[in-house]
Amino acid sequence: MKDPRLLLTDLSRIQAQTRRHFLGWGTGGLGAFFLNAAMTEDARADGPQTLNFARDPATPLSVLPPPFRARAKRVIYLHMGGAPSQLDLFDYKPVLARFHGHDCPQSFLKGKRFAFISGIPKLLGPQFPFRQAGRNGTWISDRMPHLERRLDELCLVKSMKTDQFNHAPAQLLVHTGDPRTGHASLGSWVTYGLGSENQNLPGFIVLVSSGGITANAGKPLWGSGFLPSVYQGVQCRSAGEPVLYLDNPKDVSRAQRRQVLDAVDEINRQTHVQFGNPETVARIAQYEMAFRMQLEASDAMDIRRESPAVLERYGAEPGKTSYANNCLVARRLAERGVRFIQLYHWGWDSHGTPTDEGVNVGLVNRCRETDQPTAALLADLKARGLLEDTLVVWGGEFGRTPMWENRGGQEMAFIGRDHHPSAFTIWMAGGGVKAGLVHGQTDDMGYEIVQDPVEVRDLHATMLYLLGFDHQALKYPYQGLDQKLTGVKPARIIPQLLA
Amino acid sequence: MTGRISAWAYAAGVLLVTGCGIAAAMALRPGFAATVRQVTGLEPARIAAPDSFYTVRVAPLFDRHCAGCHGARAAKGQLRLDSFAAVWRGGRHGDVLGKDGELYRRITLPQSDEKAMPPDGKPPLSKDELTVIRLWLADGARGDVPAATVKDAPRLVLPVTIPQMNPQDVARQRAPLADELARLQKRYPGLIAYESLASADLQVNAMLAGKRFGDADLQALLPLAARIVRLDLSGTAVTDAAPLSGLRAVTHLRLAGTGLTGAVAPALDGMAALKVLTVTGTNIAPESLAGLRRRGVTIHGEGDDGA
Amino acid sequence: MAPDREADTKPAAILVWDAPTRLFHWSLVALVFVSWLSADQGYMTVHLLSGLTLLALLLFRLAWGFFGSTTARFGDFLHAPPRVLRYLRGRGQRLHAGHNPAGGAMVMVLIAVLLAQAVTGLFATDSLHFTGPLALLVSEDASLRLTTLHGTIFNLILLLVWLHVVAVGFYLLVKGDNLIRPMVTGRKPASHVPDGLRLVFTHPVIAVLLLAVSIALVTALFFWGTT
Repeated sequence: MKDPRLLLTDLSRIQAQTRRHFLGWGTGGLGAFFLNAAMTEDARADGPQTLNFARDPATPLSVLPPPFRARAKRVIYLHMGGAPSQLDLFDYKPVLARFHGHDCPQSFLKGKRFAFISGIPKLLGPQFPFRQAGRNGTWISDRMPHLERRLDELCLVKSMKTDQFNHAPAQLLVHTGDPRTGHASLGSWVTYGLGSENQNLPGFIVLVSSGGITANAGKPLWGSGFLPSVYQGVQCRSAGEPVLYLDNPKDVSRAQRRQVLDAVDEINRQTHVQFGNPETVARIAQYEMAFRMQLEASDAMDIRRESPAVLERYGAEPGKTSYANNCLVARRLAERGVRFIQLYHWGWDSHGTPTDEGVNVGLVNRCRETDQPTAALLADLKARGLLEDTLVVWGGEFGRTPMWENRGGQEMAFIGRDHHPSAFTIWMAGGGVKAGLVHGQTDDMGYEIVQDPVEVRDLHATMLYLLGFDHQALKYPYQGLDQKLTGVKPARIIPQLLA
Repeated sequence: MTGRISAWAYAAGVLLVTGCGIAAAMALRPGFAATVRQVTGLEPARIAAPDSFYTVRVAPLFDRHCAGCHGARAAKGQLRLDSFAAVWRGGRHGDVLGKDGELYRRITLPQSDEKAMPPDGKPPLSKDELTVIRLWLADGARGDVPAATVKDAPRLVLPVTIPQMNPQDVARQRAPLADELARLQKRYPGLIAYESLASADLQVNAMLAGKRFGDADLQALLPLAARIVRLDLSGTAVTDAAPLSGLRAVTHLRLAGTGLTGAVAPALDGMAALKVLTVTGTNIAPESLAGLRRRGVTIHGEGDDGA
Repeated sequence: MAPDREADTKPAAILVWDAPTRLFHWSLVALVFVSWLSADQGYMTVHLLSGLTLLALLLFRLAWGFFGSTTARFGDFLHAPPRVLRYLRGRGQRLHAGHNPAGGAMVMVLIAVLLAQAVTGLFATDSLHFTGPLALLVSEDASLRLTTLHGTIFNLILLLVWLHVVAVGFYLLVKGDNLIRPMVTGRKPASHVPDGLRLVFTHPVIAVLLLAVSIALVTALFFWGTT
């Protein structure tokens, strides 16, 4: 006979079921029923395979093997917020230099929308000397002397395009595959799909430099959107407490903290027995992870543990918030099995309005801040054998115009370029990408792509492929649609970029 | 009731008129003419050689970009591009080939043109793909020119195909070690995982266990040796006496930050499958790895790391 | 030779085809031609309109086959296949006020095939400039298959039209029986009509009503499919 006490629990559980629970379960159940039917249909139709991302709610970040062999196991994404000028860094245009100062041809302006340019702007040639480097004589501007020495490891894509010409939507598109908020970021998708190796650290860590300015779109850039919140990016700081509110309050020992946690866990467990909501288990798991992180995160973030030689190579200075420090932390996190490490360095929005937004001032400073650490990160990853299975991506959200920005028809105080969604340059390195490659080509003015255009969704599809995923199969049902990072438009894996 | 003619005369008349009608239709409708010629065998069936430039380079482009609407499923404009014979037959208005023919004209129209192909915002053919088709047309759209002899053709870029897996095959491959793996995964949670859903190969990430992982633990993993292909021992407590040579399937080995010395070299030499080795931050002298280097093993982190 | 008095009183030509049937016949001829021409030249709006009109007319004709005048009724000209064969072999009754058994079969086949053509057209699409009013109700694959069928049936129609014209020509030139003029005037020479036949003609208002219903049906179908 059944224990009467158990019957009582059953009763209380039934009583705890609200109308919303029931409806939620009901529609969920029906949805599952339908999905099941739809999935068998899928399998028969030889479509993308249906993957099972179900995990024990207590370990939402547990590792799931990718559907097929991954060439990259983790990602370090270096986002250069504000959109660096490809024309002054990578996309060398001697013809544009020749037409420097001429009126922009009408054909460039017809049917185009600009953020600020109005009337007839002047053409603006490359602002820095370019030189050829690397085995293949790839052109690069003299603003990136350190990266120049790593050119043979880079896979440059000069034919990136986007359909957004304002920062926030364009950044969202690059990060979440959609220009609107509410979608899951690349890092969330990857940790959702693969989990994270190190259960003592978040699987998706965000590091922000440039005076704490993230980027225009803010935190949704690393949000989990419709995916469970446990897959959102966790912002860590490279100076002071790595994760805010993680440390014990003053005069509270780790043992006391443990006692508190045990008590909270017990209450949560009772709640779970009563209501059976898996989110409660996830909550317990998150408290426990936070407790473990107290030790591991401090260690992972602490660049004082690096040798002075290493600090010098990165140009890192312990105690500061800098891109250099973040690069070094990124390497430490990669070593510790963190799945997705996202760096933000804002300040590339070279309109030429205030001092720090000129191609001749701001861009120079940003290069000075980032060139050495970026190159050092690549070298360091390579030396540690990590570059083989770490995918490093560098890029902004769009490109910049070959025209000198003339906001309101005025000449700018500093040299500036407007937003340009039609062509920009990004690069990738490491995990399965073809090293020493230049993919795609823009016209002589660097205005439009003339060969091998790569859409943002193509880049995403390629990245997911490198991580062992079919972008069509990495999906999550939400609002009646199988949501995908690459959206509903057809995305292409770019074969040329693969090693 | 006058003016009657005989049935035979009428039949002859009908034949004549019908014949003239068909002839007129053939003259006005080259597509119809081509069909009639092919159906009646007036024109030999065209077949492209399996190694021809058409079969190797052009046909896949037609398949990918065109055959959805110009193929077995639908033949818009009565044009099919899913076989060499059909390509030569042409569409409603006849021949589409030729250097300045309808086919090349339509695929090179600006996308804004409503006659541009492929239509409806489907991705246009890339510059290289257009070059392939232009070369083929310029050479007479032949089906017997071997692909290898077309020198100016852009490099062949094959679209990436998603590897398909067969769950039964994978399960079969995994079966022999499945119990052992389950036991060891319980003992070392989070350290051992399949490389992918489609594989029975394993990767071991002992780095996560740090100094708690030593020679004895590596020894415990040896029953899985046949399937361990990636092994990360970074920062673990393994010593030069670690049973490394037993890990015969490992291709990628990371030893970064361990206390290993050159004395581990013979064990490493015994790892027949080894391809990539990382020794950053160890005391393994570069000269002790000479044997591996001769074998073509990539070694990271010898001597000074980075720079 | 004294003229036969009876033959004198008997009219030289007798009305056999009512106006609606004749109008239907020649409208059909015109619409089939317009449909072909418009599709061929890519005037898809014209094609859509002529196709829908065709469909409405065919529906009307089906109804007229039950409620129309004697010679328009299916019961008058539809015969079992053996009887048709017997007629074609030259046996059986030779004189018919309306369609002879072979002609009746031809009418039925033409109506069926044209109906099939009109219906497949509703679901057809070229995925570009034209989408049939009901095309979105079925899967894209089904729509494409029906589009292909639409093309095949057209060839069948060509063949049937050819057969139809050749047969009428045969009657005219070989048998000396002009079937075309009665289809215009409605009257057949009395000698070509069996004696003592009572033909009943339905009031044209009924025809107008039936046509209105058919048009309404097709219009409703169009709006139901497209909205």
